Amino acid sequence: MKRRKVDLKALPAKAGNEVEDRLGVATPLRGILNKVFPDHWSFLLGEIALFSFIVLLLTGTFLTFFFEPSMKEVIYDGSYTPLRGVHMSAAYASTLDISFDVRGGLVMRQMHHWAALVFMAAIVVHMLRIFFTGAFRKPRELNWIIGSLLFWIGFLAGFTGYSIPDDGLSGTGLRIASAIMLSIPVIGTWVTSSIFNGEFPGDIIISRFFIAHVLLIPALLVALISVHVGLVFKQKHTQWPGPGRTNTNVVGERMFPRYAIKQAGFFLAVFGVIAVLGGVLQINPIWLFGPYEAAVVSAASQPDWYVMFLDGSTRLMPAWEINIPIGNGYVIPPIFWPTVVLPGILVMLSTAYPFVEARMNRDNKIHNLLQRPRDVPQRTAVGAMAIAFFLVLVLSGGNDVIADKFHISLNAMTWAGRIGLLILPPIAYYVTYRICLGLQQHDREVLAHGVETGIIRRAPDGRFYEVHQPLSEDHEELEYVGWVVPKKMNRLGALGPAIKGFFRPLERPAEAPVSPGHPPVEPAPERREITAERREIESKK
Amino acid sequence: MSLQNGSNGTQHRVPAEIDYDDPRTTRFEKVRAAAREDGVEIVHYEPQFPPKGSRVERRLTRTVSSLFLLSGLFATAFVVIYIVWPWQWDPGDTWERFYTPLLGLTLGLSLLCIAIGVLSWGKKLLPREVSIQDRHDGGAPESDRRAVGTTLGYMVDELGVKRRPLLGLSLAAGLAPVAALAAAPLIGGLIKNPHANNQMFVTGWAPIKGADGSTRLVRLTREDGTPIRPADVSTGGQMTVFPGIPGGASNAHADSPTLLIHLRPDDAQVARANNLKGTGKDDLDRSGYMYGDFIAYSKICTHAGCPASLYEQQTNRLLCPCHQSQFLITDNAKPIFGPASRALPQLPLGVDEEGYLVAKSDFQATVGPDFWERP
Amino acid sequence: MTSPHRSGGLLARMRRRRSVPRSRARRRAASVARLFAALVLAGGLYTAFAPAISAEDAPLSPAAMEGKALFDTSCISCHGMNGQGIEGRGPSLIGVGAASVEFQVSTGRMPLGQQGAQAVEKPPVFTEEQTRQIAQYVQEIGGGPQMPEGDNLHSGGDVAAGGQIFRLNCSSCHAFGGGGGALSSGKFAPRISKTSDRVIWAAMLSGPQNMPVFGDNQLTPDQKRDVVAYIQETLKNGEDPGGFNLGRLGPVTEGLAVFIVGMTALIFTALWIAGKS
Repeated sequence: MKRRKVDLKALPAKAGNEVEDRLGVATPLRGILNKVFPDHWSFLLGEIALFSFIVLLLTGTFLTFFFEPSMKEVIYDGSYTPLRGVHMSAAYASTLDISFDVRGGLVMRQMHHWAALVFMAAIVVHMLRIFFTGAFRKPRELNWIIGSLLFWIGFLAGFTGYSIPDDGLSGTGLRIASAIMLSIPVIGTWVTSSIFNGEFPGDIIISRFFIAHVLLIPALLVALISVHVGLVFKQKHTQWPGPGRTNTNVVGERMFPRYAIKQAGFFLAVFGVIAVLGGVLQINPIWLFGPYEAAVVSAASQPDWYVMFLDGSTRLMPAWEINIPIGNGYVIPPIFWPTVVLPGILVMLSTAYPFVEARMNRDNKIHNLLQRPRDVPQRTAVGAMAIAFFLVLVLSGGNDVIADKFHISLNAMTWAGRIGLLILPPIAYYVTYRICLGLQQHDREVLAHGVETGIIRRAPDGRFYEVHQPLSEDHEELEYVGWVVPKKMNRLGALGPAIKGFFRPLERPAEAPVSPGHPPVEPAPERREITAERREIESKK
Repeated sequence: MSLQNGSNGTQHRVPAEIDYDDPRTTRFEKVRAAAREDGVEIVHYEPQFPPKGSRVERRLTRTVSSLFLLSGLFATAFVVIYIVWPWQWDPGDTWERFYTPLLGLTLGLSLLCIAIGVLSWGKKLLPREVSIQDRHDGGAPESDRRAVGTTLGYMVDELGVKRRPLLGLSLAAGLAPVAALAAAPLIGGLIKNPHANNQMFVTGWAPIKGADGSTRLVRLTREDGTPIRPADVSTGGQMTVFPGIPGGASNAHADSPTLLIHLRPDDAQVARANNLKGTGKDDLDRSGYMYGDFIAYSKICTHAGCPASLYEQQTNRLLCPCHQSQFLITDNAKPIFGPASRALPQLPLGVDEEGYLVAKSDFQATVGPDFWERP
Repeated sequence: MTSPHRSGGLLARMRRRRSVPRSRARRRAASVARLFAALVLAGGLYTAFAPAISAEDAPLSPAAMEGKALFDTSCISCHGMNGQGIEGRGPSLIGVGAASVEFQVSTGRMPLGQQGAQAVEKPPVFTEEQTRQIAQYVQEIGGGPQMPEGDNLHSGGDVAAGGQIFRLNCSSCHAFGGGGGALSSGKFAPRISKTSDRVIWAAMLSGPQNMPVFGDNQLTPDQKRDVVAYIQETLKNGEDPGGFNLGRLGPVTEGLAVFIVGMTALIFTALWIAGKS
């Protein structure tokens, strides 16, 4: 039989042709390969959320193979002796088994929980970047709304996730959740009784939370994240203003090879950091909490940090109860306002903000260029106000831990939180506004007068003055174009710092002259390898 | 043919239409032309090292390679540790407690080494480039929009709803119940009457009615079910008690845990006096609720339902750890700080013939967090 | 002798002088009788109303004598000469027992450094021997709960049962990990994850300051042994299979760690990847 010669070199082309004949993906593929992405570190924050979500899916799938979402009572008989013989739900027992009787189970559980915290932290940091740079403006308002929803759905994912082990800490949180539902006027008792299938705690809530946590919420998250990232793809990423950048182009790198490598590397870095966290730092030690019992609670009971702001608002709320004296009397308990009304207001405020701002600025143009925070002092100050508000609430959520560890009276912490919540945001607004104005002024001053060189000269009449390096050739007044104004001599130039290196320069800069009479400066010792000859590579290809 | 200045000052001969078989066009020119098809202009492309290889390049390559190999080493270490290291839980200071940290470290370092290697490869070994792509923002041009709009409008007209309004109305009228049909099993299955068996106003302490019409009072028991005599609680001490019914200490009766406190005599005086005075907010008669110096309050906080358990013996405050509500035990457990707005319900105490503490009746106030219908 | 129409009321009669003055001897006798009556009256009132001096009926044991010497120099300024307490400074020590003294003195809480929300632990002033002597003295003057012998009060305890008792009674103030917690208005429940067996037992038995009392009638010595076993064997540091425990303070420190460690590392990585331009 004759052996057919296989031409290895032509194999990829042949295979590619076969695929193309059937699927017709060549042109879109080339489009994707050549797609340009702008390059800035702050554009990678959303990726942290995306990659930690993937880690959540991977570790979570592992956990579902071992977890039993049932509230049936069992007697523990596993490796952890301090709980042997204790009555607990099957859910709690199976979580203990994952932690102590499944090889590597504890590290997977901890990685899953740390990934959840990183996911929510990345969402918040990413959201702040979008807010402060104005990336939510037209045409990206829909993406902003989806992003805000992603925060709340992630919140629900985390809440259901840490509640399903049915341990003492999360069970207490579940009790509070049922109280929150109860507090809703008119329908509160019906909502609670329907979700819990009766009076708290019932015998089915863990199973319901489980299916919400592993199916319904992840499906929603995957769908929304796909739309979110897809919109970025379609509308193309925003970019900072700068040399060559306009509102109608994208300046950056093509997808392959560098951008894709950066994405892959970053994914591995996020995964690696979460793995280190999951191994080295213990999180959610449920074996110390014990199974959930209605009569048991621990000091320092808090929800995870992304829920802690609601715990803080609950702690700070004064005991203002509304009694409606009709018939038997109706009650709106004080917990309704900080846990139902406040999140509702926050959701509405955040989703409406792009439209409110556009209306106020009477701005319905398409914006693809970002704004430096200092150039929009009102928005930046509003953002600072929101951060101050959020921080006071989060710190108040942990006020008993702070009171204990820093020897502050607990009652004083509560009052400090109440008062701080009202006066710190306006102070933050004012201070941030003034700082933005100051930075803007400095930018314009440097544009008008040049960069400070640090060289002090003395004029013949005895006056000292600092030499400034003007930025324009003929001392004309330069216009501010919305991008970084160089403030130091080593930042002059269009393509970034001339001295390479992050913590230390990779090469020593030339010695600065010590006096006008000093002999001319020698050039820096030439590095052996990187020369200007590489320019000729192009023409030799 | 057009000459174009690259951003580094040299000139490239760029054909207007690329001929893929022409040996004179470089591969890079072909790539650049292909990119132009997608609206991308590569304006700067600069390999970081000369083609003949340099010391720096070789050093970087060695670094990246060693990072990959190191990653493999860590991954192998992970597998070895996973299989070999002792991991079963063991009380005491032993090797087992390093299992999880070592697994996390080796896995994390393995991934981080690949990450740093890949990123160094991308950042330092690959050519730098600056490309520009047009956005083509703003959606379709006017003519396209009108085409779509006209098509849609025509389609709607063709459906004929405007001509036959009955169709549209009946569709709307019919679809609404169909939507209800879809929602009915879900909502119907889930919905549950919160006041079935009056469960929001009855706890495990309600006296048990016997078949013969007699009423048995419920004993206070410990978590294991053993009943309690007054002598079992130290003066200045507190005990969590549960109703002496089957499952009384389990979560099936999550509204029943109660805090039994043995007050010191002078505090008990004050408490008794305040019991008589009442809270001023409700008209309950608490006059016989205490038994001697013993007083019992529901442990379930009236704010959000956590067990309010931090009893401060000297100040007689009961602190709830969840949101820091504080209740004054010697004054009907009314809230004196924090977000709670309603006093804790008090359990009327008595003693049965055998000397065990019993609840003379159920709580007379609603237990736990407030809700709309709370009277 | 009657006088014409001098009856009137009692007061009027009392106001009237004698018609015939008494003899000198009779006056003197009467004044002595009056003085004697006054003395008797004063002495009787004093005896009835003055505080009873706590007369030490039984003699003190040698250890208690040593303890009394120490007590008289260090404790009476707040607790009074006989441990009866001084208003505004220190409570009465009658009935607190040796257990209470052992807790307060061996942890250095007493002698109190300054009046505050609560006594804080500090380096103890007295040696163990001296502490036992003071405890013996307070026990003998007022009675109260006493500690069992020995330094190891946890071996043989059932850790699982102790854990259940701990979670029901102790974790609400001392936290699930024994790290302590805040009480109202500046008070706090201290950390117990690094305490000795005897101190834990003494605290349960005596209910110091705002801690409730868990006498032997309420938590039997066997149950106390279980609780101490749980604390010492399970809550001791180094028992964390998941790595460094971040203080066992729960989600507060976990949230701090995710920002300080996780997000910082990742943002620095992002800065390295893309640079600042």
